[in-house]
Amino acid sequence: MGEEPTTTPTPTQTPTPAPAASDDPYGIRKDLDDPITLVVVWIAVLGLALLTVGLSSWIGPTRYTLPLQLAIACTQAGLVAYHFMHLKQGDKVVILTALSSIFWMGILIVLFLADYKTRHMIIGG
Amino acid sequence: MSVAVSHAAPVAAPPPPEPAPAKVDYLNVSHTIWSWLFTIDHKRIGILYLISITVFFLAGGIAAGLVRLNLLGYEASGHILSEDSYNRAFTAHGVMMLFFFLIPAVPAVLGNFLIPMMIGAKDLAFPKLNLASWYVFILGAALAIWSVLAGGIDTGWTLYPPYSTRASQSNVVPGVVGVFISGFSSIMTGLNIMVTIHKMRAPGMTWSRLPLFVWALYGTSLMQLLATPVIAITLLLLTVERIWGVGIFDPSLGGDPILFQHLFWFYSHPAVYIMILPGMGVISEVLTCFSRKNIFGYHAVAWSSMGIAVVSFLLWAHHMFVAGISFYAALLFSLLSMLVAVPSAIKVFNWTATLYRGSITFQAPMLFSLGFVVLFTIGGLTGLFLATLGTDIHLHDTYFVVAHFHFVMVGGMVMGYFAGLHFWWPKITGRMYSDWWSRIAASIIIVGFFLTFIPQFWIGYHGMPRRYPNYPAEYQIFNVMSTAGASILGLGYLMPAVYLTMSLFNGQKASANPWSATGLEWQTPSPPSVHNFDSTPVVVCGPYEYAIGVDQMGRGLPEPPGPGAAGDPASHHGPTGPSGPMKKETEVVG
Amino acid sequence: MSASTHSPVLKHHFEDLGQQHACERLGIWMFLATEVLFFGGLFGAYTVYRLWYPEEFILASSHLNRTIATVNTVFLITSSLTMTLAIRSAKLGDRSALIRNLLITAALGTAFMVMKGFEYKIDFQERYVPGRIFQEEHDAAFRAVFPTSGPALTREQAEQYFKEHPEAHQRWAWELVLHNYGKDPNDPDYRDPGKMQLFLLFYYIMTGIHGLHIIIGIGCILWLVWEARRGMIPPENYSTVEVVSLYWHLVDAIWLFLMPLLYLAGAGMHHH
Repeated sequence: MGEEPTTTPTPTQTPTPAPAASDDPYGIRKDLDDPITLVVVWIAVLGLALLTVGLSSWIGPTRYTLPLQLAIACTQAGLVAYHFMHLKQGDKVVILTALSSIFWMGILIVLFLADYKTRHMIIGG
Repeated sequence: MSVAVSHAAPVAAPPPPEPAPAKVDYLNVSHTIWSWLFTIDHKRIGILYLISITVFFLAGGIAAGLVRLNLLGYEASGHILSEDSYNRAFTAHGVMMLFFFLIPAVPAVLGNFLIPMMIGAKDLAFPKLNLASWYVFILGAALAIWSVLAGGIDTGWTLYPPYSTRASQSNVVPGVVGVFISGFSSIMTGLNIMVTIHKMRAPGMTWSRLPLFVWALYGTSLMQLLATPVIAITLLLLTVERIWGVGIFDPSLGGDPILFQHLFWFYSHPAVYIMILPGMGVISEVLTCFSRKNIFGYHAVAWSSMGIAVVSFLLWAHHMFVAGISFYAALLFSLLSMLVAVPSAIKVFNWTATLYRGSITFQAPMLFSLGFVVLFTIGGLTGLFLATLGTDIHLHDTYFVVAHFHFVMVGGMVMGYFAGLHFWWPKITGRMYSDWWSRIAASIIIVGFFLTFIPQFWIGYHGMPRRYPNYPAEYQIFNVMSTAGASILGLGYLMPAVYLTMSLFNGQKASANPWSATGLEWQTPSPPSVHNFDSTPVVVCGPYEYAIGVDQMGRGLPEPPGPGAAGDPASHHGPTGPSGPMKKETEVVG
Repeated sequence: MSASTHSPVLKHHFEDLGQQHACERLGIWMFLATEVLFFGGLFGAYTVYRLWYPEEFILASSHLNRTIATVNTVFLITSSLTMTLAIRSAKLGDRSALIRNLLITAALGTAFMVMKGFEYKIDFQERYVPGRIFQEEHDAAFRAVFPTSGPALTREQAEQYFKEHPEAHQRWAWELVLHNYGKDPNDPDYRDPGKMQLFLLFYYIMTGIHGLHIIIGIGCILWLVWEARRGMIPPENYSTVEVVSLYWHLVDAIWLFLMPLLYLAGAGMHHH
């Protein structure tokens, strides 16, 4: 993706001679990460981490603190998943797998809460 | 690419040349024990699993026998086991049958063996992971066996705290760790199957042309992947609490024992669908082949497998209606539990419509499958009684529940497993078994099954609790009937062990496609060569084109076996005579 | 279909390298889904108890070591960067950069575990461990104020005693005793020690299992280093690095949620 590697790639050690047609017959370098983007994402995720620590200490334990922390954590995880875990390169099935795992954990939590949040309720009341 | 059939100029499509019996097949390619223990061939791994789960079926069956013998007497003086031993016997029966037989039975035996062949691949996506999954299974099984031999567990297979974490003096930890480890085997198998189906289908094998067995195993693998980790963490938490004496289910700390039940059933409810769905996949294959008809409503059946896989995760608390969950949660779960009857019923209706006006023959796979449809329907209907909140208050923890789940698990799943075993036995071993004895065995099993479990509905409805060795005298006659039925059932299950084993030595050599079935797996020799296919097959049509008589590669089919044994030349005609409406004289274009 | 040359990296049951890479990628993602559900069970249980006992969870969390946790977070996030750069190096065939990036990642992971070791050591020294240890420590502090024989201290006397004898009892223990002074257990402001132990169970179990996953990850990374040194990771085999990398990122992502749930619940609390 545009950015030249800073070191000259050393010749590979594989015994297979690459066909003369192109030097990347298997399309390995098609989806190469841009290192600048990666560093920016790193800084963003770090920044959000320091933000969540600072914000939590500043606000203290209020009813908004946990939702705020979770929103920050979800943003961090989203950045990691999209950039570091290459969901950006997206295979439909891979993205569906990632989203399904979150959705299924959601089923667990929501239906647990269906019980635990209503235990105190009196029938017919 | 769909098949356009021209009726204008009927020309006989000759059946494909019989694949020459491979001189080197996957069985005889090497004979050493190491070639078996270090194999990465999915077919051999399927056989390894077959042997392992058969051992557990036997062990679980012996435990069941002890339970039923004990129940012949209705009070302590009539018992053969002490009350403590009785607890250990039914726990062992549950743990061994569920975790070490039913969960792996179809996926790890038939799934491993058939999925690559059905989709035209050389192996599963991760062959070494496949072998590792068997070793993990054996490790978990060994721990579970050790726990049984050391005296067993007395908590019931459900392992509820605080009894399992505090009071029980039995070998909870090794048994629980054994189940924990074997769960990883389940995950590995499910992962392997899912990736294989997604990425390794042969050219032309679109999702709409997949055999329904593959759809069913896909749904099963989805459930295995997403549910099993939750039982893993649950068992871990249980073990922590038992070993260190402090845990999150401890009420004295403010913990909730019912949280264990939530976590436990989050897995264990989908688990029962992990057990039954592969059996349903087998039925779709067998019914179509033995009625020489396309499946009625392919997409409905395919999507119902996915429906079961997803909806099964929303029902678990119907096991906890009287445990102390909130009334509103109970209402919600009762409603949701009704939902899952829909995809199951869709399958039953579609199977019935498939049979209608089919050219039906009654070899053993068909008998087992028809038994499945009847018994699963009864079992499923009785599940609705249990899903209904009001009636469940009365029926919970009675023999009604026991009868319900044995109808679906044994009358359903075990029948489905035996149907699959009998259907694909020629492909797996290259031998035919005795047609006559197999039909006798299937009939004995069905009769024995009814006698064992119908009385249990009666006594359950009238209040006999499950897991109790003592009961009122007036129930004794029903318990005796049930035990008598269990003996017949046991005899019925022993018979295949005998005639299937004998077929290995003196069974007739099987042709590549003795049942004249359409799947890709039948286009390989029996037994298959090591790499399944000499060249990658190209799929041109759907999986059940029996009516026009083509297999999935568009070639003609051999003569169907007719009402007699496969390979018996005298029975090569269907009930309508040599060429009925099913004749294969149709030119295939496209 | 691939070019006529057959890569030595290609496994025989795959049609081509593209299929192999696609399978490996999908396979590891499906495994990650199982890990999400594995921790998901813990998150579900945590949610239930945090819902029921918010105040005890907040109070119990406030005594954990936020500094070490923050440092560890920085380590892990950085290790995710270097791990992703390692994939890039593999694709470019840059063996020395690949090994360097892998070793940095492993080093950061090891630093995480070392800090965690210190953290647990401090926790044990403070007797902030659920079960018998917590019980004993709390009882000792309680008995200092309410002896079994002799008069109980007044609140002011208790505060004075704890200020003068900081080594005699752990801070969390006497803070709890002082907070609960004179309160009936049914008082909504009463902080139940048992429920605080529930939080501690989650703390140890969740960070413990997470730490185990880090150790396994470090092992996999060191295995990659070994393979790379043997020349077994040409560009065609970058997929092997990607598989480990995806696992590593998930373990990082899980930590990003453990951090606020365990360490920041009680941040900013004003202690006595």
